[in-house]
Amino acid sequence: MLPILQGRAGLASRTLGASSWTIVLVAVVCLAAGLLRAAPSQDRDAGGHRAPTVALERGRTIFVLNHCHFCHGEDLTRATMGAANLSVSPLVGGDVDGNAIGAIVRAGLPNLQTAMPSYAELTASEIVDLARYIHYLRQQARHRALATAASAPAGDAALGQRYFAANCRSCHSAAKALTGIARNKYDSATLRTRILRPGPAAPADGVAVSAGQAAHLRLLENYTMENVQDLVAYLSGIR
Amino acid sequence: MLSRRDLGRLLVGAPFSAWACQRRPAVTTVAGVVFGVETFSFHDLPPSGDPQLIPTIIGNLKALGIAECEIMSGHIEPFASVMTGWWVQSRRSPDFPKLREEAREWRLNVSMDYYRNIRRQFEDAGLRIHLYNVNFNETFTDAERDRTFEAARALGAEGFSSSTVLSEARRLVPFVERHKMFVAMHNHNNLTDPDQFATPASFETALAISPLFHVTLDIGHFTAGNNDAVAFIRQHHDRIINIHVRDRKRNNGPNRPFGQGDTPIREVLRLIRDNRYPIRCYLEYEYGSFRFSLDEVKTCFQYCKDALA
Repeated sequence: MLPILQGRAGLASRTLGASSWTIVLVAVVCLAAGLLRAAPSQDRDAGGHRAPTVALERGRTIFVLNHCHFCHGEDLTRATMGAANLSVSPLVGGDVDGNAIGAIVRAGLPNLQTAMPSYAELTASEIVDLARYIHYLRQQARHRALATAASAPAGDAALGQRYFAANCRSCHSAAKALTGIARNKYDSATLRTRILRPGPAAPADGVAVSAGQAAHLRLLENYTMENVQDLVAYLSGIR
Repeated sequence: MLSRRDLGRLLVGAPFSAWACQRRPAVTTVAGVVFGVETFSFHDLPPSGDPQLIPTIIGNLKALGIAECEIMSGHIEPFASVMTGWWVQSRRSPDFPKLREEAREWRLNVSMDYYRNIRRQFEDAGLRIHLYNVNFNETFTDAERDRTFEAARALGAEGFSSSTVLSEARRLVPFVERHKMFVAMHNHNNLTDPDQFATPASFETALAISPLFHVTLDIGHFTAGNNDAVAFIRQHHDRIINIHVRDRKRNNGPNRPFGQGDTPIREVLRLIRDNRYPIRCYLEYEYGSFRFSLDEVKTCFQYCKDALA
């Protein structure tokens, strides 16, 4: 009996030892995670993540100090209190440098159920900064939504061709761009990536955004999942 | 000289009296004015249903040194308040009917112990939920209204603060009477919809409907709607349960840090202090800032203390 007991005791001891280490390890990890969560991050504050450029940070300052994020969400996707989801709002999608956003922001929406306030004191340049920041947030949000969608519908090449003709051909001539695509023989995933955002993931100070990249960012703001899939289907078929 | 019966009562009753004294929540006053917090002020809380949500609110109240709050239903119920139908825009979502039904099912089936447990957490910390903030609306069924009143009682709330509308207030009459619990109507500043609470007239209409209807006067929204908060409080102080203290500009202007808008915060606080109106003053932080909510609510509270000094 005794050896068995000793053996069991020994096993228990070893098991306990392993459990203790596991507990200590888990505790350390949890503590570290807690500290990381509690510690103020260098790149974010109560208004969200800092913007990647000085100009966009000016816009973020206006966005946060006028408490836009409380209703529209700091990344535009988590709108609350009945506010519009600006990541998919057609008005924002059609705006250029605040020409549509500015009118709403200045006048407010007093007839809305809980009345969006009027920000009549914002200057013209502040409206431009604010609008550009909203567009930046929207581009990030649309890219996340379109690039990480769990399921995407099958594309329709004919509709893709039609979309291409209406929105892409002014820059991408069929002869040049399409033969390039055919030559490179991108797979569907690569095509998708390049359609969504051929430029860098975020702008940077001192790095100019080309006209082509700017045009793609405008498209990105307004793509539907179907548009992207149709384009992929159309361009994949060109060989 | 005490009879044996009196002595017996004393011996039996003393521990309960001592317990009751210990459990009696503190009241935070500044110059005789009672302060609380509308929990909407805490913008960086864990999401609805997160187990850390209530402990975080309790921690924030303790850090502020403020003993009572008006707690939003979204901070009590394990789902976002957008699922409860107040915002008309949110009802247009194709997902809304299903989400609304889920919220209703939860309300109708949850044990009252769920609410009592939250109450106990507050009371154990020496705090209290004074008002339950539920935005009653036409998507509530009668059974749901009944359960919501029972929930408020289980939370220890004395009544409701509610962003609601006049048409819903009329539906609430039998419920306030049956549960003997008040509803304080909270205003915004939509001046075009006569069903909304935004003007003195809209409040007066509700006050005439039931003696159990009262007012949560949001002095910031009231000012943004170009109304006179001081005059309204002078006239209706006996029907005002609490005010939401925030600072907005007139003409539907934005929220601003306390002292930078057009809202007569100092005048209102001094009016309540000088007349000893039993109106509670609940801080509501909604202006923009890069600082986290707790720091800003502290700043708001300090502004009020300075105004009453």
